[in-house]
Amino acid sequence: MAGDAPRSLLDRRLVIVTGKGGTGKTTVAAALAVAAARAGRRVLVAEMAADEQIVRLLAPGTPPVGYAGRELLPGVLAQRIDPFEALTEYLVLQIGIRPLVETVMRNQGFRQLMSASPGWRELITLGKVWHLEQMQRSDGAPRFDLLIIDAPATGHGMTFLDVPRVVVSAVRAGPLHHHTERVEALLSDPDKTVLLPVTTAEELPARETAELVERVRGELGIAVDRVVINAVAAAPFPAGLEDLDERLDRLPDSVRLETLPPTTVLADCSRYLRARYELNRRFVGEIAEMTRLPFVLLPRIPTGIDGPSAIEALAEPLMAAPRAEAA
Amino acid sequence: MSPASLAEQTLDRRRIVVCVGCGGVGKTTVAAAVAVEAARRGRNVVVLTIDPARRLADALGVGALGNVPRSIPRETLDSLGVPANGQLAAMMLDMKRTFDDMVERFAESEEARDRILENPIYRHATDALAGSVEFSAMEKVYELCERGEFDLVVVDTPPAQHALDFLDAPQRMVEFLDSRLVHMLIHPAMTAGRFGFKIFQRGTRRVLHLLERISGLGFLQDISEFLMAFEHMSVGFRARAVKVRELLLGRDAAFILVAGPARESVRQSEEFLDRLDASGVPLAAVLVNRIRRWPGGGDPPGWNDGSGIATDVEALRDAFAQQEAADFPARAAAQAAADAAKGYAELVRRDRENTAGLERRTRDRGRHWGTIPELPADVHDLDGLAGVADWIFRPEPSTDDDSRTGGRTIDGSPARPVESTRRRRA
Repeated sequence: MAGDAPRSLLDRRLVIVTGKGGTGKTTVAAALAVAAARAGRRVLVAEMAADEQIVRLLAPGTPPVGYAGRELLPGVLAQRIDPFEALTEYLVLQIGIRPLVETVMRNQGFRQLMSASPGWRELITLGKVWHLEQMQRSDGAPRFDLLIIDAPATGHGMTFLDVPRVVVSAVRAGPLHHHTERVEALLSDPDKTVLLPVTTAEELPARETAELVERVRGELGIAVDRVVINAVAAAPFPAGLEDLDERLDRLPDSVRLETLPPTTVLADCSRYLRARYELNRRFVGEIAEMTRLPFVLLPRIPTGIDGPSAIEALAEPLMAAPRAEAA
Repeated sequence: MSPASLAEQTLDRRRIVVCVGCGGVGKTTVAAAVAVEAARRGRNVVVLTIDPARRLADALGVGALGNVPRSIPRETLDSLGVPANGQLAAMMLDMKRTFDDMVERFAESEEARDRILENPIYRHATDALAGSVEFSAMEKVYELCERGEFDLVVVDTPPAQHALDFLDAPQRMVEFLDSRLVHMLIHPAMTAGRFGFKIFQRGTRRVLHLLERISGLGFLQDISEFLMAFEHMSVGFRARAVKVRELLLGRDAAFILVAGPARESVRQSEEFLDRLDASGVPLAAVLVNRIRRWPGGGDPPGWNDGSGIATDVEALRDAFAQQEAADFPARAAAQAAADAAKGYAELVRRDRENTAGLERRTRDRGRHWGTIPELPADVHDLDGLAGVADWIFRPEPSTDDDSRTGGRTIDGSPARPVESTRRRRA
């Protein structure tokens, strides 16, 4: 697709945010939600992790949103998709007898079986996402303009998005087969769904991102049109002073400073900032090369990501047009 | 009486060191560095990594798959200062092959083995089965310990949401195989008709009925076949799970919790610490990796933009003007140097603030507390690992004024080779 500028993320129905642990997936999901709300979209952020980080980012100090969900900011709803709750909801829809389903869900043997069984959590979670996508307002318009999925971290066996495919082939008929087919159709529809990989410009995340993109393009068949590179250090020195640390090293010991630390320490500080910056630049280049995707750079927030103001600062750079080359 | 150093507590006395922590904090690097140190202390050590960065994998000689330990050559060990009796091997976990090996070992016949290996559900399930990475890692650790080939096994664990995932994995697998529902699936013939449920409780019966309605009978039959094949191995599995647990919770094991200095990582690590302690895991140390360190150690000086800075910037400008060519922007350089120091001091202070609570909690419980500074580049060779090991096992003398520092200093250790290693990174 070289040459075509990617469509805006806000024109999709479903954005699946994923990435290696510690790269800022949830931060990006939250910033995207803020950007969508600013553009007048009604957005739902669905979180999978049990410990609800999204609340900490968008509405710190407020109680968890839980399975029922809650509006955290005007236009931004958040919900945690608990697999057991989603399964209950699904079974009630299928069987129609809530007391029976609840008896089953309480059954010790059943819970044991389910807690060790592969795949169903991912499947039921994606099923719930499909269901949310289908929901409508009374006027027939979609209930949500945009769904943002804060997906589990990638890494060992990217099983989360794999599951529908596996189930469709393993379960040959019956309601489960058909329902899973619908989920798969939503995920693989490039007009509706896009995967948004988040990485930092460091070696391990860069490599994992390249592997992820490879798999998404190949066997998974989910659209991916850009990579978000998070926490990129800004150039620490004005142009022409890139080697400030070396110049400080060469200053004579006789320089007397009253308040600032000695020049050797100044040199070490400059060296650190320069090294992190150069490392980031190198891996931005490598990510672009390995993934063959345009990228969006998010600046490193010096104060750390500690609440709504940091998230809001990232919303605008996140919506910038993706670039193909490092500046 | 000085308390035992971290190295004495862990590397010299244990057979297993397990590195745990949330994702992205550098567990693999720490595990590999711990192994290097053990070899330097004359032990025969193997490090089991789960998912190393490629360059680190290459440095350890585990770039190629194999699922067997590979020895680091003697010349390399010599250059690291590993004595003649010390040996270092590394391996990368191959989950699929570990599972296959287990099937080989526990299957009661060749036919049973092939039935499992060829079952389509087995092929998918080993990827997706809850905790299968943890399970196979623990299996491998046990096997390495049992073989007796090594004095010490250092193990990196997969990133976990819950600190005890890997510890519980064998038990969960056994519970799964033991559960009544599984037996129902395995032995449909015991019950009258298709799933006649004569002898089982109504709750279970309903569950199976539901599953059948949703998934169709064919799927349940596939699962049933898979489980039936597995059932014959479950005696071996169960015995294994018990032994692995005993090994990890016993006196032969020590755990190291690795954390990062970011606020979120610290929060998760505090939860980890509580859970590990509550479950009786022999936790030896908490290490914060990639913390920003003020050059020379200690607290960064505090200053504000007063006149003192202005005078200093002038002095720096004059020095640059004397040293550099006439067109050099001496004034801008002086200001940039001052800003860099201020900005970096800010980062150092933030990391200290973020980690202060975790440090207190760790020390209050009598665990070793250590930090590893963020290095300018990723650690990707054995020299780099040796440098990390220096930070872990030969920390700077504490600047604290009280006596809690017991575990931090190494009594009677030789003059620290630390500075030379540290300097080399510059």
